[in-house]
Amino acid sequence: MSSTSQKHRNFVAEPMADKPVTALAGIGDVLGGRLEEKGFDKAYVVLGQFLVLKKDEELFLDWMKEACGANSKQAKDCANCLKEWCDSFL
Amino acid sequence: MANLSERTADELRELLDEYGIKHGPIVDSTRSLYEKKLREAMAKAKKPSSDKTYYREEEEEVVTYVTRTPVRAGPAGDSGAYMRSRPEWTEREYQNEASYSSYSRSTPDYRGRDYADDALLSDFRPYTYSTPTSYKSSHLKSPSLNYGDPKSSVASPAPKSSGFVPPWFQVIFFLVVLIFLYIVFSSMESNENIKGIE
Repeated sequence: MSSTSQKHRNFVAEPMADKPVTALAGIGDVLGGRLEEKGFDKAYVVLGQFLVLKKDEELFLDWMKEACGANSKQAKDCANCLKEWCDSFL
Repeated sequence: MANLSERTADELRELLDEYGIKHGPIVDSTRSLYEKKLREAMAKAKKPSSDKTYYREEEEEVVTYVTRTPVRAGPAGDSGAYMRSRPEWTEREYQNEASYSSYSRSTPDYRGRDYADDALLSDFRPYTYSTPTSYKSSHLKSPSLNYGDPKSSVASPAPKSSGFVPPWFQVIFFLVVLIFLYIVFSSMESNENIKGIE
């Protein structure tokens, strides 16, 4: 709890519904824009990608770096955010 | 080597299993990722080296340490001498990393120690602090850590963990020690005089 951001805590607190991709921890305006260009305009689409990669963190990190040019920290924050969300709601 | 993008998803899946790459279903969004992984695995398989993901991490992490060490190694009394040896060391580290990239994970272990040896001889102790930690974080074996530690613990009195002691503090501490020694020396002189009188 101490090492997660407010954004992370907000995201994992409730079902994501139609939240935009920028609601994910680690994803700001720039990365969000790049993801939206590729068709990942909602958080649940990125969730879908995370699930299709079998919730494997390493694969998801690689994908994030390739898809939107995220660095290790950003990708890891996003992966942790999704993982925790899945633990609670999936 | 057939073009990966022309292969069917089933063929890609078989290839991924062949190379032992953990994967999920091959769909539109994941296909390019797996193709990239396969290409890397094939390129790596030609070279007699080990896991390339480790190699990439090594590079990343060591690069950060290379940029950090100049800051860490700064604080000391003889900053002039440090200045000289510092670029030497960082250069060497860069060379290290360049040569690392073409070798397996096990060899950098020994290489690192060789280079760290040279670095130790010509440079000052604080540098060894950074060497073991950088190798440690790029998950090499602990011998490099043990190697670095005894020497660094013997050598550096002032910096306890890692450059957390600001330079001005060290200068002041040095001056205080000097003044203290002078006082001791002067008081000893007066003692001798007293003895002479007696």
